[in-house]
Order: sequence, then C-alpha cells, then structure tokens
Amino acid sequence: MSLTYDNVSFIYPGSTAGVFDIALDIARGELVAVIGASGSGKSTILKLLAGFMQPDAGRILVEGQDVGPLAPEDRRLGVVFQNYALFPHMRLWENITYPLKVRGIRRAERRARAQEMLARVGMEGRGDDWPTAISGGQQQRVALARALIFEPRGLLLDEPLSALDAGLRTSMRDEIRRVQRAAGIATLLVTHDQEEALSIADRIVVMHDGRIIQTGTPQELYETPVNAQVAAFVGQSNLWPGTVEQTGRVRTPIGTLACPTEGYAPGAAVTVLVRPERILPAEPEQPPRVNDFRGTVVADRYLGPVRRIDLSVDGGLIRLETHARGAVGRVSIPAEAVRLLPGADAAGTRS
Amino acid sequence: MPFIAFAYLLFLAAPVVLLGVGSFGETWSNTLLPSGFTWRWYAEVASDPSFRRAFITSLQVVAFTCALNVLIGVPLAYAIHAGARGGVRLAARLVTLMPVAVPELVLAFGFILVFSSDTLPWLGSFWLLAAGHVVLTLPYTVTALVADMDQLRLDEYEQAAATLGASFAARMRDVTLPLLQPSLLSALLTVAALSIGEFQLSNLVAGFLSRTYPVVLLQAFYGATGFACAATVVLLVLAVAASLASGAAARIGGARGSGGAA
Repeated sequence: MSLTYDNVSFIYPGSTAGVFDIALDIARGELVAVIGASGSGKSTILKLLAGFMQPDAGRILVEGQDVGPLAPEDRRLGVVFQNYALFPHMRLWENITYPLKVRGIRRAERRARAQEMLARVGMEGRGDDWPTAISGGQQQRVALARALIFEPRGLLLDEPLSALDAGLRTSMRDEIRRVQRAAGIATLLVTHDQEEALSIADRIVVMHDGRIIQTGTPQELYETPVNAQVAAFVGQSNLWPGTVEQTGRVRTPIGTLACPTEGYAPGAAVTVLVRPERILPAEPEQPPRVNDFRGTVVADRYLGPVRRIDLSVDGGLIRLETHARGAVGRVSIPAEAVRLLPGADAAGTRS
Repeated sequence: MPFIAFAYLLFLAAPVVLLGVGSFGETWSNTLLPSGFTWRWYAEVASDPSFRRAFITSLQVVAFTCALNVLIGVPLAYAIHAGARGGVRLAARLVTLMPVAVPELVLAFGFILVFSSDTLPWLGSFWLLAAGHVVLTLPYTVTALVADMDQLRLDEYEQAAATLGASFAARMRDVTLPLLQPSLLSALLTVAALSIGEFQLSNLVAGFLSRTYPVVLLQAFYGATGFACAATVVLLVLAVAASLASGAAARIGGARGSGGAA
C-alpha cells in the first residue's frame, strides 16, 4: 500500500473535535475521495498526511515508511491547495519547477522540464506568464503540474475544484483524473461535493464527526449505504423513520410499505431509504399498483433531462425524479426500490 | 465638495509655497510677500557648521533606524504572525504598539532618567538617540507587516513551499521575504518620514554634537526669516529624499530576493 493511515487519531487542543481511529489504505494509482460535511474531519486527515499537524495516536505510512518524524518538506507528497497557492512573484515555469530549484537542479534543465510539464497539463507555451494573468482552471492545471513535477510518493488534493465555475468543474474533473492516471500515483482527494467524489473516485470514504462511517466504491455507497447519514450525504434520497410490522411490511409516517424485510424482525426500528429516481409516476385511472400514493405537487423543478418533484402526501413528502413531462398526482414505489437501514435516526426526509 | 477639497489643498500647500518663496526673498518683514531675490540664505545654511553637522546626523539616524527596523521588525512581525496565539498574540501587539500610545515626551523623560545615571551614562550619545528613533518607529513596521502577513495568506504559501520540498531557510528566501517586500517598502517610507521629522524626543535626548536637523532648525527661527525658510526647505527636501532612498533600498533588497527565486 502506498499511503496508509494506521488507526490515526488527532484532537484539536482545547476541544473535543478531531479525528478518531482513522484506518485507510490507498494503493498506488488509486484515487480515494474523502467526503463529509464541514467539520467532519476530512481536511484534518489531509493535513495530518501532509505533515502540517502531528497525530496524537497511530501512524501514517508512505510507501511503508513511518512519516511521523518527517517535516512536510521531507515527506515528498504533492499537495494542491484549495486556492492553488501559486507564488504570485514567480512566473508559471518558475512556480512549476520550484520543487526542482530547492533540489538544486540547474536553471537550463528546469526550463526544459517546465515545458514538458506544461504540455502534460495542456498549457504549452505559457511558461512566461504570471499566475495573476491566467484563469482559475489554468491555475488549477499549473498547481497540479507543480505538485507532480518532483515525482512525489502521493498526491493530496484539498477541495481542488471548489474555486471554479460549475461548467469548468466537470471538465477539470476529467482532466485531474487523466493526469492522475498517467502519473499512476496514490491520490487523496478531499471534497464536500459528493457528485464530484462519485464521478472521479475509485473509492469514497464518508466521514462524520471525525470518524469514517463507510468506505466503498461509488456504486456501493449509493446502492448500499450503511446508515441514514451516508444515504443522506451521497446522492438525493427519501428517508423515513419506520417500524417492521410483519415480514414484508414496514409502517412509515406516509403509510405502510410493502418491501423486503430480510434481516429485520417484526417490531424493529428502521430507516426507510428510497432513491427519488426509483419512484414511478402513475396514471390517475390506472389500476392501483403496490405502494400506491396520491398527493399534490408542492415543488416541481425542471432540470432539463429530469424533473425533481416534491409530492405532498398524507403524513409526509415524497421526492421523486422523473422523465415524465405530464402532470404528476399519483406515484408508486416498487418494493425492490425500498432499502431498510438500521435505526430510526433519520430526521425526516433530507436530501 | 470640489470647493472643500480645493480649500483643503490650499491650506496644506500654502505654507510650503510661502516657505519656498520666503527662502529666496531678500527682505521680508510686515509684508504679505518678501521683496528681492537671493541665493544668500541657502548659501548661509550650507556654510553653517551646526546645520551641516545636523544634516549629516539626521541622515545617519535615518539610515540606522531603517536598518534596525528591517533587522528587528521583520523577525518580530514574523514571530507574532507565525507563533503567537490568543493571549500571547494580543500581549505582543500591545507591547509593540505601546510607543505609539505613550507620548514621546514620556519616553524622552524616561530615557533622561535612566541614561543620565552613573551606571548607564549614555545620554547625549548618537547611539541612544538612534535607539530612541527605533523604539518610536518600530511599531509602524511591525503593525504593517503583521497585518499584511495575515492578509497575504502567507502561511498558505509557506505550507505550499514546504510540501514542494523547501526548507525553512529556502522558504524565507524564495517566498516569505519576496512576498513581504512591498509591505516592507511602504513601512520604511513611513519610518523614514517619521525619523526625519522627529523633534520631541530628539530635542531632549540628543547631545550637543548629535543634534538632528529639526532640533537645530528651531534656532533658525530666532534669526532672519529668509534663513529660517531656507533651512526648513532643506528639511523638506531631506524628508522626501530619505523616503525615496529607503524605498529604493527596499526595492533593491527585494529584487535580490526575487532574483534568487528565478
């Protein structure tokens, strides 16, 4: 394993906040995204790996070496900062080759390496520009080039896309992925944007209150979240508190749902998860299907490919996504679309 | 509004203009403007030994003050910025701001009490005078630098440089000092202007042979008006020159810093 957290804990002095028992392995070439709300500790684990803070317990290993005693400058890890932190008094080629300068490489060779690196991130011929004269997306590329030029043992990306426009963000995701793949480097990406994590990462780590609550592929997290917090954080969701009435039936505030209940005994408290795109609109005069609900539309958001609708029914709200263009007043929830999660800790429906 | 602005500028500029006119006037008594034209007053100021010595002393004090502001102010500001947190930070800021809050006279009387004793008999020496100027001007340098360090997000650049493999010394040379250069430049301009014009402390602490220009200038006003005007114009030129020189010095130092980064 290339980057390893071995049961790492850190508590901010004078508080109870921090990160606890972090265990994580990132293989060479793998991109792992850490997501969580602000204050969940996701930036803290990046700072611990970069060496800006020291863990109170546990070890951090880079290619098997305990980096605890090493200062940031001795860890050989490339970091891309949220605001890129390009040095404003150096030209782009000087920024990119600064890691080579401090390693004593001669100016002529540095210039050549800079050109090569600029080409790799699609910025040929821009070496003599100043950082203030280029766009946010270009600054991002330069920061990436600077973090990779010294062949670091790992790449750390701290909210790398949050400073960009929505449109540019999507294309820069692919760009980061391409450059990271080409470098074949173990990468830790910290983000609050779950969509970014789903689209770019090999694996995702979900953090809450300083702890890892689930690690898995994007599909695993979306399809089989371990609890309501993960379900609420990854993707859109309907979450209802429920009680298993009998095998195959669960009582919820919006009514009793027919659904598989394997693993839960009658009487068990559960959280019911239904993804909005799994809910089907029904024609008004169609014969009733399973889990049939009628209600009134309280919000109808047209997003282009889909509409995101909030349907108010007796006892609560159903959120659905549909391609249907007509009026929606009746929906059915297929039994196989219902997932039960342990505990009734869902605070109503959240997205 | 334009009228107020104009009146204000006139109010600021009129005395300076009158000084300039007066310094070339042959005679000036009980009239609005002087009569006649002469270079005589400037020649007299230039040949007066006490004015010549004071002129040199002022330049030396300014140079020494600016140099010490760089040597003490930069590390001090950096220490406050990087190391001090919470209460320590507040205390450090209060201590550095004290010389601004305390009237210069108080500081001067303190100097007189302490340094006229037999154990520390340094009152009247050049070095004590220069040290006084450093004490008075250092708060401006430190305050300006600390504010700019926070505003520049200096720690982010330093962290970035560290992850790229730069040691503390390399970060200082390539990142911290070049980024601070403009702040240091403007701080030194302020310091030079303050030091040149400083009168209260210098008047009380300077010895007979280490009087600065403003202290000697006071005596000119007991003599001929033209002579006083010419001597004051010289102070004005001196202040502007010192500001420009300290600015140029900082720019050269900064250029060396960023040249090293290239």
